[in-house]
Amino acid sequence: MNKRTSIGARLMLAPHILWCALFIVVPLLFVVYYAFAEFGSDGSLVGFTFRHFGDVFTDGDYLGTFGSSLLLALVSTLICLLIAYPTAYCISKMKAHSQRMMVILLMLPMWMNFLVRTYTLTQLLDNNGLINRFLGLFGIGALQFLGTPTAVVLGMVYNYLPYMILPIYTVMSKLDHRLIEASSDLGANSFQTLTRVILPLTVSGVISGITMVFVPSISTFYVAKAMSNGSISLIGDIIETQFGTLNYTMGSTLSFILMILILISMFVMNKFDKEGNGGVVA
Amino acid sequence: MKRASKIFTACTFLLLYVPLLVMIVFSFNSGKSTANFQGFDLRWYIELLSGGAMLDALRNSLVLAVLAALISTVLGLVAALGIFKMKNRYLKATVNSVTNVPMMNPDIVTGVSMLLFFVFVGTTLGYTPYRNFFTVLIAHVTFCLPYVILSIMPKLHQMDKNLTEAALDLGCTPMGAFFRIEFPAILPGILSGFIMAFTLSLDDFVISNFTCGQGFQTLPVYIYNMIKKRVTPDVYALYTIIFLLILALLFISNMLEARAEELNDPYSKKNIAARKAIAAGENPKNVNQSLQKSTKSSLLVKIVAGVTACVLVVLSVSSIFVNTEDEYAWVEYIETPYAGTTLYVYNWGEYIADGSDGSMDLVRVFEEMYDIDVVYSTFDTNEKLYSDIKSGAGVYDVVIPSDYMIERLLKEDLLQPINTDNLKNYHLVDDRYKDLYYDPTNSYSVPYNVGMVGIVYNTAMIDEKDAEKASLSILWDGKYKGNILQFDGPRDGFATAQILLGIDLNTHDKADWDRAYRKLIEQKSVFQGYVMDQIFAKMEGESAAVAPYYAGDCLSMMEENENLAFYYPVEGTNIFVDAMCIPKTAQNVGAAELFIDFLCRPEISGQNMNALGYSTPITAAKDYMDPEMVESELAYPSEDVLVNATSYAYLPEEIVQLVESLFQEATKLIN
Repeated sequence: MNKRTSIGARLMLAPHILWCALFIVVPLLFVVYYAFAEFGSDGSLVGFTFRHFGDVFTDGDYLGTFGSSLLLALVSTLICLLIAYPTAYCISKMKAHSQRMMVILLMLPMWMNFLVRTYTLTQLLDNNGLINRFLGLFGIGALQFLGTPTAVVLGMVYNYLPYMILPIYTVMSKLDHRLIEASSDLGANSFQTLTRVILPLTVSGVISGITMVFVPSISTFYVAKAMSNGSISLIGDIIETQFGTLNYTMGSTLSFILMILILISMFVMNKFDKEGNGGVVA
Repeated sequence: MKRASKIFTACTFLLLYVPLLVMIVFSFNSGKSTANFQGFDLRWYIELLSGGAMLDALRNSLVLAVLAALISTVLGLVAALGIFKMKNRYLKATVNSVTNVPMMNPDIVTGVSMLLFFVFVGTTLGYTPYRNFFTVLIAHVTFCLPYVILSIMPKLHQMDKNLTEAALDLGCTPMGAFFRIEFPAILPGILSGFIMAFTLSLDDFVISNFTCGQGFQTLPVYIYNMIKKRVTPDVYALYTIIFLLILALLFISNMLEARAEELNDPYSKKNIAARKAIAAGENPKNVNQSLQKSTKSSLLVKIVAGVTACVLVVLSVSSIFVNTEDEYAWVEYIETPYAGTTLYVYNWGEYIADGSDGSMDLVRVFEEMYDIDVVYSTFDTNEKLYSDIKSGAGVYDVVIPSDYMIERLLKEDLLQPINTDNLKNYHLVDDRYKDLYYDPTNSYSVPYNVGMVGIVYNTAMIDEKDAEKASLSILWDGKYKGNILQFDGPRDGFATAQILLGIDLNTHDKADWDRAYRKLIEQKSVFQGYVMDQIFAKMEGESAAVAPYYAGDCLSMMEENENLAFYYPVEGTNIFVDAMCIPKTAQNVGAAELFIDFLCRPEISGQNMNALGYSTPITAAKDYMDPEMVESELAYPSEDVLVNATSYAYLPEEIVQLVESLFQEATKLIN
């Protein structure tokens, strides 16, 4: 067989490679450039330095923000997983047309603009929002839902839950249910069936779901500010502010660190995905 | 166990849907508030149908999504074919990895990288604005590509290569084989890739935020700007319509899929019954026919499809029918050499009478009067305006910054002088607003609006005695713990603390700023949070009791909730003048001068201030305003209040950085 790629294939690849180089690789190189560049007071390039990174790593505030973003993202992802897994399983056991209905109901919120969704959530949870007014009917005093890290987690879970349920459900719906029957026939109890049969078979869906929730959670902006009444800023908010005030160097430095953080997380997660099936679920 | 899991699933769906249902209900709110339901009204749907900036943004989003999906599908198809045929494994893996970068990277990094790239390209090639329709399009195609390729590749792998070989053996040309064998086989992948790209583009916010600019705003970016000012139920109305449309579309596609599956499944009831009928001796042809008929779309699906189609048609042509053309027929046309040109205006959000609440749509009036097309964009902070102009992200003819920002723009030589000889109404501007500190030669700005910061509070939640004191200290009062709001902006936030401590708002002394910073930290133990836009919902919905805010906006809140009242603090407050300027990079100076002059007309300024609730710098305009407004203490405060009011001055760069970083520290995560 011909070991070299045909001319036709090369021709087809050429525009794509050009596009990727120009619009994916080069922009990222710019981020790297600004992260390491040093500018004089008149705006001209003075040299390259690690100073910005040093500034970030020695500044308690930046480290704290990275830490909080990571922590909140991990907690949100975990909670999404805990909610999504049983839900996905429950849906996969329904009748076929019910399942389709459920999938539609799951996809609908994803079509709603995430800013609008988050905003309506804050309206619901506000001190005199609908939930508190409802509780007030029973004489329960106004509970403060907003303004805490928990509220931020709630906001993230609310926004990203469907992205966790769908991939897990997709994998579960392809599960051969006879395997589960066989497992209990052979004497395994529910817990053992879960851990030894269902879990290993659905791992790829779980990894997909985790990827689709963790990456946005750690880099999102607006959700934290809205749910915490403006008192919490996450790394996404800070990067947005930096670019908004034309502070390209610090913004790029922070973006670069965020990218590396996510690359490391992806690498760690890929170790679990032995099947190599991680990817997008349409 | 089964019931428990069913309840659990039901709760999950409840979590997802309750906020959406609230959104749908509030889309029918007769008031402007998203927190206070005042009555059932279709007003937002009607306003939506008559066109406006939001529908323009929707149109932009749709056009962009279709183009981006088309381009990325074509590019992706070619790329997928090329990658599929690659022999070198390592090269293949590299190309795959690079292609998938936008998918793996968080949106914010992709957006930011594209912003830097386009700024560089713009600066080197020397064109402005750096961010426009094409930059957004390129960005969207780039992040859609990996998804398209990912949709097509599996189909390529699943394809039976033997078929292609067979076709070639039978004499087909490679091209022919492609179009007859391969293309149909991968078509489902192409289609799903296209739909995925369309969806992603339509819903993208983060990347669009960093690549949108000059006049072209997608719907999510428009909503983000609105969310920073005041959210009105018209957004809810729009998304209710979208929600119902998507529901209908998904329902239809679901039904069709179900029918197709039923037909193909040899064990489905219909097929079994059909086979029984044939075995019992019925004519196979008839059985087949009735089988096909029964699996055609049921009546329900037809109804849903029909209604959806009607709604879509109505939405697209509605702006022709619900036409407000006649409303502005009274506007006299004035001939100028600038008819037919375009004017780019950049103003604060909700800062001009726009036809809502019985006011006049001043931009429309101007357009009718001079036959000039106005592209009206909004910003939410002076700092955003500054960075947009300085970075070249936007090119505008008229901008309306606040006093201290004008000072800064002038110092950095970003404005051009205005020829006041061309402004017929300039002489009507009150002398008190000429030769102000930020524009001493009076040649670069024309005052638009005068406003002050005051305290808005809920009479039902605040003690009368405390309200009578009319002090800023109420914002630090532990009695109202958890019900106090504070500005989410460095200068305004610090100002409240500075005035209370008696510090000069424009001090260059770092120790002073430190003191103010500590006062802000002190406030954190009693306040609810830092707000800008949420203040409307919180005060109107009574989720907070007291807040500092701009007088005109306070008036707007008071209209939505009669428990709200207002006072100017005795210790003093900030007074600001927003003025119209022409940036150096303006393209249409003639039309800009017409617009500025237009807004100085007494009857126009009067209409404007009536709607906004601020003070007008044009004394003659008072004759055209509501007498209540003219008498109002809020809109036209007395001399003793004015005497205590200070303006912001431009601060040197290092102080600006200090203030920004101090404020950032104040808003970090509470641990």
